[in-house]
Amino acid sequence: MSTQAPNNWIPLLSETLGLADAPEWFVAAIGLVLIYVLIIFPSGAFISYLDRKLGADFQARVGPNRAGPFGFFQPLADLLKLLQKEARSDWNWQEGLWLSVHTVALYSTVAVMPLGSLALLVNTDMSAFLPFWAALVLALGTMLLGFSQGSVPGWFGGVRIVAQTLAGAFPALIAVLCAGIRAGDFRWSALAQSQGASPLSWAAFSNPFQLIAMAVFVAGGLMILNVPPMDAGLSRSDIHGGVSSHLYGRRLTLFRLSRFYGFFLWSVISVVIFLGAWVLPFGISGALKDSGHFHLLHGAELVWLLMKTYALMLVVIILARLNPRGRVDQITDFAWKVLSPFALFALVGAAFWASWRAL
Amino acid sequence: MNGSVFSSIHRYLQDVLRGMKSTWGSFVTAVPYLFRSGELRREVTEEYPDPISSRTADDLPARSRGLLENDIDRCTGCQECERICPTQAIRVESEIGPDPGKAWVSVFNIDFSRCVFCGLCVESCFPGSLRHSRKYEGAVHNLSEMVTQFGKGEVTETQRAKWAVLRQQAESEEVFS
Repeated sequence: MSTQAPNNWIPLLSETLGLADAPEWFVAAIGLVLIYVLIIFPSGAFISYLDRKLGADFQARVGPNRAGPFGFFQPLADLLKLLQKEARSDWNWQEGLWLSVHTVALYSTVAVMPLGSLALLVNTDMSAFLPFWAALVLALGTMLLGFSQGSVPGWFGGVRIVAQTLAGAFPALIAVLCAGIRAGDFRWSALAQSQGASPLSWAAFSNPFQLIAMAVFVAGGLMILNVPPMDAGLSRSDIHGGVSSHLYGRRLTLFRLSRFYGFFLWSVISVVIFLGAWVLPFGISGALKDSGHFHLLHGAELVWLLMKTYALMLVVIILARLNPRGRVDQITDFAWKVLSPFALFALVGAAFWASWRAL
Repeated sequence: MNGSVFSSIHRYLQDVLRGMKSTWGSFVTAVPYLFRSGELRREVTEEYPDPISSRTADDLPARSRGLLENDIDRCTGCQECERICPTQAIRVESEIGPDPGKAWVSVFNIDFSRCVFCGLCVESCFPGSLRHSRKYEGAVHNLSEMVTQFGKGEVTETQRAKWAVLRQQAESEEVFS
């Protein structure tokens, strides 16, 4: 075991799996699949269960309570049911193409996702902007998926999704600029190191402009990824499910999972940029790194990051359950007329604040 | 200054503040539901068919319109229910029976796959033989089982002849008594 901290998890994983001679890309691929299967998939199940139970509590209902204790295995039951549902036989090849593009574009960001101080596969100067690229490609792919379906919900659903994405991306980009101003860089490691473990030293609470930037970033992300309550492009009541109106069974499972993954990715990035990242309290990070317990460090940081991510996702879910779904023009109005001015105001304020402290 | 940039910014900020207050208000109202404090915040779902909290037939409101039942001995075979049923769920066939005062309702079928439980037939039944029961569990495995038969059965020709004789005897006895 080397005493020097490796800068990503590939050496650790190849050591753990006994694949010391395998090429790096192979170990990386295995690692990404493991991240997906062990972290994202169970998170999706857990969060969807919490969503239904909490929503039921707010509405004085019971929620799922049959599949397992307190309905805990309801997501598994849903998955099994969806997987064995017969899909329509006349699925055209364009739909297949665009659904694959949609999925691949989104899952390419598993490599970018920051999961710990040592678990950074991609840590370049512009790391914080890579999810935006993925979201824009996702929107384009979804729009083309909608067009290829050749029906009214497909066309209008696709266009609405793109409209929302563009509307939400602009203020969210500006919010990331605010965070970069504070940290001085856009690398994941720099953004994390500029924050501390206690809430007082998180980026979001360091000055009021950063708080506005965080709110704008989270709201913009919800808009980009069509997360309720900003899911006008995918709503059943308004547009028959939009792009997902033609998707059944396994394809629908794939689509829904990738939508959840987008929500998860955005929440992880919000936590890393604004809410203290993975920095463990009481200086545990430093102690573990110095003593060489890298596995423990990885695990502890990951758990801490995931807990904060789940808390943020829960807040979003609560807000989604408490507020009516917005109409698509209301959502884009909100982005251009409220989020964007506040984002610009926060940018100017954050720039002044940073330069004031540098003087 | 009316209509100036500052007043429109002021109005804009007021609108944003109102939006935030309404979101916060809904949050404050709804989050206590998570912790189920007080009588009003318990779940109102009936967990049917678990016996713990489900409603039995006795819990139903007094005028609940459950599955229909016909007391075939009181039924006069007047076919009012058949005429008034909006979905033609009732089929009645009746003829004169052995007793000259009573009809023999040979066929009285109610097709519950058509019945909408509107209650018009019960309202129109003047002998009061057709009533709603308190039962509501009517699921069956075969479509043919959805038709409930209350009739007394078809009558053969020989039986009709015998009954005609019986009726004559009863009428002649009446004249004398």
